[in-house]
Amino acid sequence: MRPVQQRYLREFWPAIAAYVIVLFGSIWLLRHFGDSLGVTSRSALALLPMVPIAMVARAIVRVIRDSDELERRIDLEAAAIAGLVVGLGFFSLGLLASGKVIELDGSAVAIWVFPALCGTYGIAKAWASRRFRE
Amino acid sequence: MKSRVRELREKRGWSQGELAELLDVSRQTVNAIETEKYDPSLPLAFRIARLFGQRIETIFEDQE
Repeated sequence: MRPVQQRYLREFWPAIAAYVIVLFGSIWLLRHFGDSLGVTSRSALALLPMVPIAMVARAIVRVIRDSDELERRIDLEAAAIAGLVVGLGFFSLGLLASGKVIELDGSAVAIWVFPALCGTYGIAKAWASRRFRE
Repeated sequence: MKSRVRELREKRGWSQGELAELLDVSRQTVNAIETEKYDPSLPLAFRIARLFGQRIETIFEDQE
């Protein structure tokens, strides 16, 4: 494994572990004490998982920046495909909701955009990489 | 683009991983160049040429 990838894993895993802990902590605190808190405190608590997510984002940006040219090309293709698929997928959901075919919970939709983007990016990257393998 | 990278690498007894390390790229990139699935950028082609002590046009041949 190249040093770039070793650094990425060193940065990614603690950040994602921190995210899971902070996310569950934040949800638990909001459920138990949310009603007694003001808007500012509630907002801060709800947005707390964004701190470790920012660390994850930093690790991703650093690994892409230090990747070689083929890896960057694959990443670009994967990001473009993921953006299109997820963007158009959620747009279709919005159209179905506005046509009253389905009912959507706005907060659930907003929460699922990022995980959907990450998952689709992973699949698109595996697909884009295949073209350059033996 | 036709590439002689595999031939030159094997002549020196290097593995793809070793060549990748010398060029500061991934093994996947070296493999893609050798199998002619990826054409390297000009700076990378120059690095390859310098490493093998040859001119770019003796390593890569345009097939158009």
